[in-house]
Amino acid sequence: MWTLTVKGLLAHKLRLAATGLAVVLGVAFMSGTMVVTDTIGRTFDDLFATVYDNTDAHVRSAESVEVGFGMTDRERIEAGVLDTVLAVEGVAHAEGLVEGYTQIVGADGEPVGDPGMGAPTFGINWPERGELNPFDLAEGRAPERAGEVAIDRGSARRGDLAVGDTTTAVTQAGVVPVTIVGIVTFGGADSPGGASFTAFTHDEAQRLLAEPGRYSYIDVIAEPGVSEEELRRRLVAALPGDLEVLTGSEIIAEEQDVMREGMAFFNTFLLTFALIALFVGAFIIHNTFSIIVAQRTREMALLRAVGASRRQVLLSVLGEALAMALGASAVGVAAGVAVAAGLRALLAGFGIDLPEGGIVLSAGTVAAAMTAGVAVTMVSAVLPARRASRVPPIAAMREVAVDTSSRSRLRIVVGLLVLAAGVLLLAAGLAAPDAATVGGGAAVTFIGVAALGPVIAGPVSRVIGAPLPRLRGITGALARENALRNPKRTAATASALMIGVGLVSFITIFGESAKASIDRILRDAFVGDLVIDSGSFGFGGLPTELAPRVEAVEGVAAAVSLRGGPVELAGETTFLAAADPVRLEQVMDLEVTAGDLSALADDGIAVSRQVADGEGWAVGDVVPARFARTGSQELRVAAIYERREAAGDRFISLAAHERHFEDRFDMVVMVAFEPGADRDAVRRAVEAVAADYPTATVQDLGQYVEAQAAQLDAILGLVTVLLALAVLIALLGITNTLALSVFERTRELGLLRAVGMTREQLRALVRWESLLIALLGTAMGLAVGLFFGWGLVRSLAGEGFTELVVPAGSLLVIVVVAAVAGVLAAVPPARRAARLDVLRAVTVE
Amino acid sequence: MASTAPDPTTTTTVAAQAIDAVKVYGSGATEVRALDGVTVGFDTARFTAIMGPSGSGKSTLLHCVAGLDTLTSGRVLVGETDLGTLGDRDLTRLRRDRLGFVFQAFNLVPTLTALENITLPDALAGRKPDQEWLDQVIDTVGLRDRLGHRPSELSGGQQQRVAVARALANRPEIVFADEPTGNLDSRAGREILDFMGRAVRDLDQTIVMVTHDPVAAGYADRVIFLGDGRVVDEMHEPTAERVLDRLKQLGD
Ligand SMILES: Nc1ncnc2c1ncn2[C@@H]1O[C@H](COP(=O)(O)OP(=O)(O)O)[C@@H](O)[C@H]1O
Ligand SMILES: [Mg+2]
Repeated sequence: MWTLTVKGLLAHKLRLAATGLAVVLGVAFMSGTMVVTDTIGRTFDDLFATVYDNTDAHVRSAESVEVGFGMTDRERIEAGVLDTVLAVEGVAHAEGLVEGYTQIVGADGEPVGDPGMGAPTFGINWPERGELNPFDLAEGRAPERAGEVAIDRGSARRGDLAVGDTTTAVTQAGVVPVTIVGIVTFGGADSPGGASFTAFTHDEAQRLLAEPGRYSYIDVIAEPGVSEEELRRRLVAALPGDLEVLTGSEIIAEEQDVMREGMAFFNTFLLTFALIALFVGAFIIHNTFSIIVAQRTREMALLRAVGASRRQVLLSVLGEALAMALGASAVGVAAGVAVAAGLRALLAGFGIDLPEGGIVLSAGTVAAAMTAGVAVTMVSAVLPARRASRVPPIAAMREVAVDTSSRSRLRIVVGLLVLAAGVLLLAAGLAAPDAATVGGGAAVTFIGVAALGPVIAGPVSRVIGAPLPRLRGITGALARENALRNPKRTAATASALMIGVGLVSFITIFGESAKASIDRILRDAFVGDLVIDSGSFGFGGLPTELAPRVEAVEGVAAAVSLRGGPVELAGETTFLAAADPVRLEQVMDLEVTAGDLSALADDGIAVSRQVADGEGWAVGDVVPARFARTGSQELRVAAIYERREAAGDRFISLAAHERHFEDRFDMVVMVAFEPGADRDAVRRAVEAVAADYPTATVQDLGQYVEAQAAQLDAILGLVTVLLALAVLIALLGITNTLALSVFERTRELGLLRAVGMTREQLRALVRWESLLIALLGTAMGLAVGLFFGWGLVRSLAGEGFTELVVPAGSLLVIVVVAAVAGVLAAVPPARRAARLDVLRAVTVE
Repeated sequence: MASTAPDPTTTTTVAAQAIDAVKVYGSGATEVRALDGVTVGFDTARFTAIMGPSGSGKSTLLHCVAGLDTLTSGRVLVGETDLGTLGDRDLTRLRRDRLGFVFQAFNLVPTLTALENITLPDALAGRKPDQEWLDQVIDTVGLRDRLGHRPSELSGGQQQRVAVARALANRPEIVFADEPTGNLDSRAGREILDFMGRAVRDLDQTIVMVTHDPVAAGYADRVIFLGDGRVVDEMHEPTAERVLDRLKQLGD
């Protein structure tokens, strides 16, 4: 029987090659993603290991609050601790380090990096002792006096800065002039993970990044013969209880873990697209094997007639699938290395800079990608293989019966049940909310629609294809009939495309709805005139001196800052905004319905109605809170407001923020003009002030809304590009199906040629059939995409998604692109059809 | 429609002819001379049968004269058109507009109805069929009540009648038929042959038919005998018995 498998493989190598390509692409994407992740992981592992190579202990405050995505607030420690540490027996050397937000300004006047969207931009003090210094000087020297800095080579390149250049740096203490005296590398990397470093002298770092007399942490080197553990024991014994001591190995492991956690999100994000690609591939594999089995019905029957058992037939088909799966998966894994490079370039194009590093192809990646490729192929081939094994021997003697199962009642019932299950799963996932359940629900929904495909393929193709005969005469009529003659095949082929189109149109609808909702929220809530935006979400942003300077501008009634940071509130870590409560209402309409914002003082908190109702809080209630800097505190609910979308769910006063947080930056400053002010003149004056702050962008409401939309567009663009792979694989599926159909219809096409169909007409015939399949898939995809979009937007109504936008223009573009792609997918099979030997078709063997 | 062909062997007009036709398949040891210098003309408004043992080159000759295949050397003229000078596009047009075909099997497009199959060449050309002629053809083959059926709903004999109707529908200069009754029982076969005979007598159609069946050849006006790729004999006004006798002689 294995001979048969091998013979089968050889006989169908072309058809299997196209199918294999679908597996190759999915597996390559998957292994590429894992290679990127592993490579970056390894790079960071090495980096941190090098940086903390000589560190034996790491002393820091035990107080920290973390909300994820790198947003952590940790209390700084008093400089006096350093003396205590140095006095401990066994300490060879210790150094206090200050870390904080700094953004160096490039030669073009723009700040280097984008901590809001990308890697963080740090300022730090230049460590005195070489052993504890993470930097290697590549050029120049260390900063020695105020105003001198050393910067990392990656930032120097991006900002077009060199040793000797003077520029400015944005810090918590304001925008300061600096001279670049050194260019450094960091554990061998130009710029660790795209993060930027600006190193100041010790005193400057304290003054600009934190406060004089405070350190972020202290790194310690042990005397020879004192182990890390021993050193820690002695330090813990000597230091107060609100400090914690980590060994060198522990801090390396922690930094590596934090990085991996950050990477995990990114890894999951990309793997999702690899899974989608494999899912689409599964449809194509299933379809191809179904077609091949149908075409070989006689062969299978003959085998059964001469004595092959069902099992043998089943195994021979599965054997073919396995051989193809192994080959295609292996090629896919190898191709993954190339994909990794492409992914990195793609992400860089979208502003996500990943560190350089030698490619890491781990055994785990190979195993996972191979397993996924083989599993998807085998699962997809099982049903067709079973069908093959059920071919009765008598079929060898009869004409192959036309497949009539396409409209069976069973199919309708099963299809509807699967669809219902998918929709329920989706709803449950959205309600939870749980991303994996949502994904599973979407997949099951797609399978349900695909199962119903053969039932709807006929009527829908008939409608879509209705104008064809009139447009293209007999060629059009034949194309439509060809698409209709095997609804199962047409539907299965279209279903693969449905997935890609469905997801792209869903993303489009969701994105447009999100933009419209943002627009609506901001326009409803914002009653000011200008927004000065930093693009920051909590780490760095605008120096706090900006707002008072803007408010001093003639014609400005109020310049209201918005800050924020992590807090543990009633046991849950969350983001807590801060603003001047009284003047906030001059720029934002919050609809306060209980309490009074002016009563916020420095121990009050204002919360949205949703949070208040959810937690059962009323005005006057006292809520426990924990801050990194000040530890456990009590906050009094002072006001409850209805409009949560604009200012978030909870905020405190600026005074309270200054007390409880280490760093003080404004994320945005909202500006209201005085009534009757000369708007253009005031705006120009505000812009003149903001010009001193490189991270500030002055926008009116329309521009601000547009900028928010543009950010969303960038993410949606990336998602759409990644989904394009799913569409590409589906197009391969169309090409493959048509090639198989052309092969199957050799005689018929030859006959058409004999009685006078020109090659061009024959190509058109294949093209139109392809177009019909593509449009069918697109129609199904649009329907599903609309449903998904509607479902998600509805379920997010509570989050401010008030608008459901169906962007007809964008959806039309999707239809046109799918149609053009459908025509392109037909090129190879059409060429093959046109090259058919007329005689082979009409002569009887 | 008829041409004044420069063939000295006939007095009537010639619809198509092959001159020194040679067709070689393969090369070296596997070389097969399927046609080995065939010169033959097919008269207008006559029914010509081509006979010969299996492998003698009958189908090859038909295919080459009908523009479905090309010669290794020699010439084929349809009317005054030299097929050797035509590219694929012109050959296709020639088949569509000036020739008709009936094959042994797989004559019909399964997705089209009988009527659509009959008018297929006109549809491909984007022409309206000549309704009067079409009616006449349909009635001649007796398919009026089957026009809306798909091939899968027709018997083998009915399918072949549809094929004959299609071959006649666009008033071709010549209809080529390769064993049109080969897959039919004898009654259905006789019906088809009757229609073809009537098309020649009543409608002045020219038909060239390959067959190995002496009874089928008996319907023709003239029989050409092939052997090993050459014309070995011919017979006018044949009958089944005479053809059978001649085949026996040739076989010796
Ligand atoms: N495509 C081909 N390749 C090689 N040899 C062929 C091909 N077609 C026909 N032949 C050979 O040419 C000869 C004539 O074939 P054909 O015209 O089909 O004979 P007939 O129709 O009289 O049975 C035979 O020997 C056949 O094997
Ligand atoms: Mg033959």
